[in-house]
Amino acid sequence: MVKEGGNKKRGQVTIFVIVGIVIVAMAILIYIFYPKISSSLGFADETPSAYIQNCIQDKVSETVQSLSLRGGELNPENYFLYKDTKIKYLCYTNEYFLTCVMQEPMLKSSFEKEVSKEIKVNVESCMNNMKDNFRKRGYVVEGGGNSFEVEFLPERIVVRFNDSLTLTKGEDIKKYDSTQVSVTNNVYDLVAIANSILNWEATYGDSETTEYMNYYHNLKVEKYKQSEGTTIYILTNRDTGEKFQFASRSIAWPPGYGGITA
Amino acid sequence: MNKKIILMFVFGMFLFSLTFVSAETSYCAERTITGLWCQNVPLSQVDQNFQSSPTSCEATKYCGLGCCYDSNEGTCMRNTPEIVCTQKQGVWQDSASCEVPQCDLGCCLIGTEAAFVPKQRCKKLSSIYGLDIIFRTDITNEVQCILSTTSDKKGACVFEEEFQTTCKFTTKKECLDLKLENVSFHEDYLCSAPELGTDCARTEKTTCVDGKDGVFFLDSCGNVANIYDASRIKDPLYWTKILDVGGSCNSAGSNADSATCGNCDYYLGSTCKSYARSTDKKRPQYGDNICRNLSCNFEGKNYQHGETWCADSKGLKNTLPGSRAFRMVCYNGEVSVEPCADFRQEVCIQSDIDGFSTAACRANRWQDCVNQEKKKDCENLDKRDCTWISGSTVQCVPNFAPGFDFWSTDEGGQAEEICSQASVTCSVTCEKGLSGSTTCESTPKGCGDEKGLNAAWEAKQNLVCGGLGDCGVKLNYMGQKGFNEIGD
Repeated sequence: MVKEGGNKKRGQVTIFVIVGIVIVAMAILIYIFYPKISSSLGFADETPSAYIQNCIQDKVSETVQSLSLRGGELNPENYFLYKDTKIKYLCYTNEYFLTCVMQEPMLKSSFEKEVSKEIKVNVESCMNNMKDNFRKRGYVVEGGGNSFEVEFLPERIVVRFNDSLTLTKGEDIKKYDSTQVSVTNNVYDLVAIANSILNWEATYGDSETTEYMNYYHNLKVEKYKQSEGTTIYILTNRDTGEKFQFASRSIAWPPGYGGITA
Repeated sequence: MNKKIILMFVFGMFLFSLTFVSAETSYCAERTITGLWCQNVPLSQVDQNFQSSPTSCEATKYCGLGCCYDSNEGTCMRNTPEIVCTQKQGVWQDSASCEVPQCDLGCCLIGTEAAFVPKQRCKKLSSIYGLDIIFRTDITNEVQCILSTTSDKKGACVFEEEFQTTCKFTTKKECLDLKLENVSFHEDYLCSAPELGTDCARTEKTTCVDGKDGVFFLDSCGNVANIYDASRIKDPLYWTKILDVGGSCNSAGSNADSATCGNCDYYLGSTCKSYARSTDKKRPQYGDNICRNLSCNFEGKNYQHGETWCADSKGLKNTLPGSRAFRMVCYNGEVSVEPCADFRQEVCIQSDIDGFSTAACRANRWQDCVNQEKKKDCENLDKRDCTWISGSTVQCVPNFAPGFDFWSTDEGGQAEEICSQASVTCSVTCEKGLSGSTTCESTPKGCGDEKGLNAAWEAKQNLVCGGLGDCGVKLNYMGQKGFNEIGD
């Protein structure tokens, strides 16, 4: 009898240990996936901004990173294939001995528009989910159109929604005039430096990389001249690893005794 | 002499034919079918929805290059066609080099920072950072602009919090903006100054500060103190007043890898970084930050941060096919490689001052070597990069002969034509005299005798042949044989 009782107690202890492990494992899982679980359950995100932020920040970062490696456009028409990546020509001439013609004089705004285009579907989906979420929580949702714009600023990217959003629940009325999402990223600086390099390319057909590295201590500028006259520039923020790559073809040298056109 | 005339004639023909072909087939396309703006292309590449004409873009109005001014960002982009600029809502002006009032540069002082930019850009920066600006047009270069920055005087901002006298190291303006009771500002004082009687004491902790090179001590309230100097960690004076970089430890050196001094200098080759056992040679005596050594080690040689030097691929000295020059760059402890233009159209030049080397890729000036008749003109380094080979048919040849893309149909033909100019037939006529002796005459003179080719003459001809480009039977820069053999 004593022995049997001891076995029962041991069995109970084992069950408690297993239950304890399950609880700890669940706690860990909830901790890891908290933002996703909370947003799907719809109890954590109090403001529309916070919801949208959680929903699209990864997509914004991925898109900017991807476009940055291609000169600011996902599928550029005019590109140089460098290590299997299509890098857009931002300044180009097909001739030898001549300086390039600027192809993208408003690089920042073009890049911003391209990011907007690429994240549009995700933003719309996030907005609709957010509205559904609030409706499930008993709110009447008004406004909050899908019109938005992307702006690069120092050390961040802002996605700004143009329409105001009103949430009404009984007498509780919440109006959000300026919903915006901010993502940490410093592509702004890299684009500004790219513009400066492009002006050098358009004037002298080349640029001095060390000048930039002297002024910006966390910047790495790489320049790779290709055989047919294209130059690939790779700008890297040494602290964050963010990159911006672009191509230019200016004052190209022909092989041998030369031709006029490439 | 005949050979030289032929060569000059061939070059002339090339230029003439290329110009002629170009003028005949080239159209100025406002837009090409691949979406490029303002390029001289064959008619088949012209996008017919846009303007085009059978002339060079330089001669057209619709592809005239100007300055594209972004009135929102305040930036100016050169060499921009009008249509590209206006389509993107820019303001186009007829000055390809942007010599327009909107693009005049000035010194934009924003807080403690400075930027040498146009006025509108300065205003934009002001709105981005939310700071007041001063735009100075009297400063005319970037270096002067950066040197003209003045930072607001900092000091100890002492105040009461939770019945304790505490302190924040900040500017006077920020201190007064705190709007707390019993606030007092002590310019040039550190929060750890004993006479201020705050709860901020000296510690052994250090930190890196944004925008500054050095390692700084921290006080117990988390305020930045003076530059890390292990020998003065217990010196109350060192924890009392602000000491500038010049007055801190070993200000003349970079202090890279120093365990005791945190007076780093980016331009001398060090900057503040968190200590890493795998990277840094020494562990700091106090704290976790050190002046990281930014120099580079490349192929067993040490290069200082900021040094650039030339490197050749294999076979550049013998101008083997595929060989080219490179510029190596050492920054932040990393070496990057910058290839000069391919086909040896650029060479790398280097100068050393007190062991610090600086290099650059520049154009290889080989073009008029063969036209030089005097050794002095040939070797005039101010004008050209050529070598004199006395006694050969072509006496002046490039130091680094240009490479050909001999594998392509067009240029391959050109290579054959150019290289064939170095081919010479040596004719030797010998007569046996009555006395039994043999007298030989060779054309060209001295090229050979009854025994065969003169070895010295042959060597010279080889030099001339190789000096014209990727001519003759050669290995490439990787040591691989070409398609043809001698006798093919």
